[in-house]
Amino acid sequence: MAREISTHKIGGLSPFELAEPRSLGEAIALLDAREPAVRPMGGGTALMLMMKAGVLRPTRLVNLRRLGLDRLEVDASGALRAGAMVTLRALEVSPVVSKGWPIITRTLRRLSNVRVRNVATVGGHIAHGDPHMDLPPLLSALGATVTIAGPRGERNARVEDLYAGYLETTLARDELITQLVVPPMARRRAAYLKCTTRSADDWPALGMAVVLEGARASIVVSAATDKPTRLAAAEEILAGKTLTDALVAQAAKAAQEIQIDGDLHGSAAYKKHLIGVYLRRAVHEARDARH
Amino acid sequence: MKRATQGIETNQVGRSVPRLESWLKVTGRAEYVHNLRLPGMLYGKIYRSSVAHGRIKRIDTDAARAMPGVHSVVTGAEVKTVVPDPYYGPAFHDQPVLALDKVRYVGEPVAVVLASDPHVAEEAVHLISAEYEELPAVYDEVEAVTSKAIVHEALKPAGTFPDLKHLKGVKNTNVALDFRLRRGDAAKAMAKAERVFEHRFRTQQVMHTPLEPLVSVAESTEDTLTIHTASQSPSFVRIEIARLLGWAENRVRVRVPFLGGGFGAKLYIKLEALVAVLSLLAKRPVKISLSMEEQFFTITKHASTFRIKSGVSGGRLVARECAVWWNGGAYADIGPRVTQKSGFTAPGPYDVQDVSIDSYALYTNLPPAGALRGFGIPQLVWAYESHTDMIARELGVDPVAFRRRNLLREGRPQATGTVMRDAAIEKVLERTASLIEWEKPLERGSGPVRRGRGIALGFKACIANTTSLAAVSVNADGSCTVYVSTVDMGQGSDTAMAQIAAEVLALPTEAVTVVHSDTDVTPFDMATLGSRSLFHTGNAVKLAAEDARDQLAGLRKELGLPADCAVADVFRKKYGMRAGSVLGVGNFIPPYTPPDENGQTDNATPFWMVGACGVELEVDTETGHVRVLRLVNVADVGTPINPRIVETQLSGASIMQLGFTLFEKMQFDAEGQLRNASLAEYKIPGLLDVPAEIVNEAVVAEQRTGPFGAKGVGETATFAVSPAIANAVHDAVGVRLTSLPLSAEAVFEALQRK
Amino acid sequence: MRRTVQFTLNGERVEAQVAPHETLVEVLREAFGLYGARESCGQGLCGCCTVLVNGTAVSGCLYLGTLAEGARIETVEGGETLDAVQEAFIERAAFQCGFCTPGFVLMTRQLLAENADPSEDEIRHYLSGNLCRCAAYPEIIEAVKLAARKKASR
Repeated sequence: MAREISTHKIGGLSPFELAEPRSLGEAIALLDAREPAVRPMGGGTALMLMMKAGVLRPTRLVNLRRLGLDRLEVDASGALRAGAMVTLRALEVSPVVSKGWPIITRTLRRLSNVRVRNVATVGGHIAHGDPHMDLPPLLSALGATVTIAGPRGERNARVEDLYAGYLETTLARDELITQLVVPPMARRRAAYLKCTTRSADDWPALGMAVVLEGARASIVVSAATDKPTRLAAAEEILAGKTLTDALVAQAAKAAQEIQIDGDLHGSAAYKKHLIGVYLRRAVHEARDARH
Repeated sequence: MKRATQGIETNQVGRSVPRLESWLKVTGRAEYVHNLRLPGMLYGKIYRSSVAHGRIKRIDTDAARAMPGVHSVVTGAEVKTVVPDPYYGPAFHDQPVLALDKVRYVGEPVAVVLASDPHVAEEAVHLISAEYEELPAVYDEVEAVTSKAIVHEALKPAGTFPDLKHLKGVKNTNVALDFRLRRGDAAKAMAKAERVFEHRFRTQQVMHTPLEPLVSVAESTEDTLTIHTASQSPSFVRIEIARLLGWAENRVRVRVPFLGGGFGAKLYIKLEALVAVLSLLAKRPVKISLSMEEQFFTITKHASTFRIKSGVSGGRLVARECAVWWNGGAYADIGPRVTQKSGFTAPGPYDVQDVSIDSYALYTNLPPAGALRGFGIPQLVWAYESHTDMIARELGVDPVAFRRRNLLREGRPQATGTVMRDAAIEKVLERTASLIEWEKPLERGSGPVRRGRGIALGFKACIANTTSLAAVSVNADGSCTVYVSTVDMGQGSDTAMAQIAAEVLALPTEAVTVVHSDTDVTPFDMATLGSRSLFHTGNAVKLAAEDARDQLAGLRKELGLPADCAVADVFRKKYGMRAGSVLGVGNFIPPYTPPDENGQTDNATPFWMVGACGVELEVDTETGHVRVLRLVNVADVGTPINPRIVETQLSGASIMQLGFTLFEKMQFDAEGQLRNASLAEYKIPGLLDVPAEIVNEAVVAEQRTGPFGAKGVGETATFAVSPAIANAVHDAVGVRLTSLPLSAEAVFEALQRK
Repeated sequence: MRRTVQFTLNGERVEAQVAPHETLVEVLREAFGLYGARESCGQGLCGCCTVLVNGTAVSGCLYLGTLAEGARIETVEGGETLDAVQEAFIERAAFQCGFCTPGFVLMTRQLLAENADPSEDEIRHYLSGNLCRCAAYPEIIEAVKLAARKKASR
């Protein structure tokens, strides 16, 4: 996950076309499967950062704000449905979310800052693919899915299947996330622990999401590799058993066997150690959570 | 109100007057050069070196020049047509306006694109390419002493500092200064000591990151130049630009409004020479406004290595040997001053009469290091206060008791031989111990989270010898205007100067206007740095106000008016109408004796700053995270002019130092490329990092030679934070870290090694 | 390339010629001479560029100027007199160099509009995306608390 950081990543934006389609079909038609310089735009924060850093020089940005994708509701089955253009802030302050999915509310509180959350959208956040982000591992552990629209129609995908590598998703360049669907919590209990190693407010050195459902654990870690990673070995150890300290310690050890990348937040060896600590802490927190 | 010292009543000084510029700052209307736009102005964007050390073979600017909207592209060759010898710097004339022949660090300015649209300029920079013959590079300060990689072919002292003269033309070395101090016979005393302790400490390269990034604008005519710049040293800028151009000083005007933060970054020459030359070449105003990232390639704080050895007999320090290596980066900037002026306090605020200090300024192929709040003192205190604590622990003596036994007290000679006066070292230590409740037992805990407590004490000598001038005008209606070249960068100097003038002239502070630095108007001031301004400029303002007051008294006498006659009436009587003014002038330079070849002098400094820190913290032993619960800052600032501003200076400095202590670090790869030049990857303290409890206190003290008993405070709370935290970590979990920052990973690793 | 963008700025209907790549901060400065919102970190992390768009605080340095079309834009320069937040910042000495102050003022107004009596923890979290290198943080926390009290009593 080594990132090339050049000395010239400063400043200016170069001219491009900004399109604001009024229908989903129009939006998709404006995208181009083969052209990385054409991008959909949600809140635009991640895009603007990449443009200013000079790592993205778009020829066209397709703004999605007029597509009516900003509904936030619970459907008949009790699942949360958030349109792709729902802002992270709207999600954070929604009483519906805090009632049904308080873990999401809690996680959002430390995700970047209020101004970013005011503008960043659910779809944009999920589609970005930076392995340090907070929602992808949590949504993966919760079994969330997204609806994806493209020139050949609609499809659904699990959030956890969206990530191929660093800033690489399995979305085609002419596809758009239109909606996030999060299954009801039911009797599940969840925890997301964000470990920062520099200032308190920072990208995480490690993000650990644990969702416990009866005898099953769903555990996904972020910021340790080039994409959010399910800790399957640890899940297997915990499956169907009572969560004693010894068992959790065993699971933590197994979790540390994944291939870890070090970065500016911590070396691979340190992150390996943190995985063990945070898995244990997240399991305990989930175990003791009301929801 | 009664002054805490001096036995006088004052009306203005000693009052927590709200800052005079408050309205401007809360409404976003304060003037910063960051905002300046002039008609016809061109924006300059800099093309920078991508290698750490190399000979320039070729710079290809054709494509950039050809881009529509580009006005011109300038390299070192064009600079030389305006300034044939384009090297500047306060200590060495070693830094070229734009690289010539060689580049010496990744990020060094090599060319500039000028355009009226900054985006166009930025785009065009990407079209420039350069070819270098790479040379071996050196990055470590100790390695630089013997490295074959030589950063500068020959040393070029500026002639501004006499102690650098002997280095002129010296070749084949990276040692820009070797300062030595010898007092008594340290080697002999060390050999006789009961116990000897030796430790090595390191600090990291960090950056000031003022939120207003460095920025300068120049506009020129045929033979005059005006530079609007975010600078703490307008008088120096004028002198240096005039020198470079071969012009008379009075043809160069330097204007400084408010600074959006300085912290030492905005000193001497940064962008001023470059914009001056560009403006003369383009015959249009030129602005260069750095991005936050570019600041990291402009000026930083010295990383350092400090080897300290102490001899102890019967609980008393009997000898200290200090060797300090300062990583100055590719250009000296004010590094040699740091090396020398901070070097001489390396043994700490302790009474040791057999001392040797060797302090070296090194060139390396990293971004230049210069002045950063504390000016080398935090690096020194980091070492000597960790070391002193380690000695105490080793001896089984309480760290505060050990310090008490060895403290440098009033009337005793410091390592330079200068006798201590008006430095409340003992009082500061005792007050800190009291506020952190040192005597009270501390519950350290038995679970994964452990608590600890630490204390540290540091001091600094104000730079000498320097001068400040001030003018104070009393206008026809009795209102007052103060003219100083001291720059308000947030430390409250405008307000303090107004308070001093107001006190002398018996006016309310709010009735005083302070004119911002403008070298056409405000008189010479050495610079706003090193916490010197309140003392030096404050004294000059006091003298100027007294001069004005005396002139008015003289006028009253001349006109046969009573002593309490209002100023407006005096002028009316003199001129028959509302007209006229008096101008008082103050010129202040404190006495000073330069050190001899052993660094000995009976008058090393006009005043000492003393600051201590007490810390209570938690360590998460499973992850290494350190969380400061309680931070106590105690200082000797003399008798405060503005107590509220003093408090906020102590608080702010300590939080800034917290960042340097726990997580800030410029991280380079093996090729000298900076990996974290942005606030996304170089994290500075935010609200969530601020300890739950911070206590700031100035002890009751007096600087008898200061204006109304006051002296500087801007840096004081930076001194002791780092070692106090390391000492507290040791107290909590028994591990000793000797390298900054005390990152969670570093603490964790130390715990593993235990 | 430039497009006419019409919006309301501090209560006044205005228009500007905006290039597609220009940010809101650039538009405010170049077209309207408003310098309270400043680009500092350029990454939305410091808050110096805070601007309100339709009552919501955004990082002006990451917000495209053309997207201001039809919006209600508010900056720190709006308002005839000092409000409770600005008064509180002055009274609590909650600034030093002042460069970050407009951002803090606007964010504090937002915070108090959403939460009239925030706890210290809530204050720290809400303003965690506003940086102050002078570190006037303790004073800022006190100023926010004072502003809340002032507003409650008005």
